[in-house]
Amino acid sequence: MEYFIELLKLIIIDALFAAVPAVGFAMVFNVPKKMLVYCAIGGAFAHSLRFLLMDFGVQIEWATLIASSSMGFLGLYWSRKRLIPRPVFTVASVIPMIPGSFAFTTVIGLVELNSAGYSVEMMQIVTENGLKTLFILGALSFGLALPSILIYRGRPIV
Amino acid sequence: MSLNQDAQTELTRIAVTAGQILHQHGAESRLVEQTTQRIGLALGAQSIELSVSSDAIVITSLFEGNCITTTRRCYDRGINMQMVCDVLRICVMLEKRLLDATQVKERLARLTPFKYNRWLVVLMIGFSCSSFSHFFGGDWPVYITTFFASSAAMILRQELAHRHHNPFVNFSLAAFLATSIASLGVLFEFGDKPQIAMAASVLLLVPGFPLINAVSDMLKGHISTGIARWVFATLLTISVSIGIVASMALTGVSGWIH
Repeated sequence: MEYFIELLKLIIIDALFAAVPAVGFAMVFNVPKKMLVYCAIGGAFAHSLRFLLMDFGVQIEWATLIASSSMGFLGLYWSRKRLIPRPVFTVASVIPMIPGSFAFTTVIGLVELNSAGYSVEMMQIVTENGLKTLFILGALSFGLALPSILIYRGRPIV
Repeated sequence: MSLNQDAQTELTRIAVTAGQILHQHGAESRLVEQTTQRIGLALGAQSIELSVSSDAIVITSLFEGNCITTTRRCYDRGINMQMVCDVLRICVMLEKRLLDATQVKERLARLTPFKYNRWLVVLMIGFSCSSFSHFFGGDWPVYITTFFASSAAMILRQELAHRHHNPFVNFSLAAFLATSIASLGVLFEFGDKPQIAMAASVLLLVPGFPLINAVSDMLKGHISTGIARWVFATLLTISVSIGIVASMALTGVSGWIH
């Protein structure tokens, strides 16, 4: 019981901290004002779901896939309800899950490989971070595209 | 429904304008294609054939054996979801017969990109990157360092974008500034793990939208557009990394790879 309350507390904190970047980046993408609240809810939901799954021991790539496909279907519901194209909410909502740090580490590692010479440790950093970037990003975009790949094949959603 | 030559030309122009607006403001290729075709068909064309490439669209409208083709260059005007929403709303209203061709043309011409107050965006981006520093396990001093580093980088990014500087130059300078400010936190040992601020403060420069659009374009069959977007996003990532490396070489603080 205590474990669950502790977990719930962590999830709520995670959701609150994920809602901020979702709204922040939605404002960079100039999402209309009325839609910002959807971006906040979506960002909080997707990131905390991934946090929960990773807490249960799911790998980050699979957890991302599940979180982003749930976000894709949630975005489908909102999109039908408000007659707004889906990327408006979904992309800002998954921004907190984008593997930005992995991507930068990969390229910085490549630069180091060039300047300091080849070393197995550096190559290991580059390979591991690069593969993480590719797989997380693939899972993210594939999950978001799932509703239009599976259900709306070739038909417009709104 | 019958169309004469002039009406068909007019229809093609309206459809291509809608497609151009969508493409310029960061819609994915499938959305550009579908919306343009829907507008053309709703205005009375028998078929709309469309070719979307990374920086231009070519459209042909067919009506009883007559083809009219037109091309528009699509210069990148920054991601603006409000414009995408508005064009789609016009499309839906046209399909429900609430608007006619002249009204659609007038409404498309009247659309102006909505922008949030820039200082509000700077503030929110500061808090966003600070939240990322929390995800990486940073404490309150790191939160504060990240806030100032990323806000300063955002101000620089907006200023350079406003002056139409090259995006690669813009992103590497912003990354340089963010990393330099965050490395002050490491030099003065502000907080428990001040290196986290260096990693978190550049996350405002991750090209998230182009990357997601790239993969979803490729998944939905627009391979060449997807590859173009992917390459653009990769080049942005490389220029950010160059900015980070330059700053770390100057200050001598290593925050990324120990």
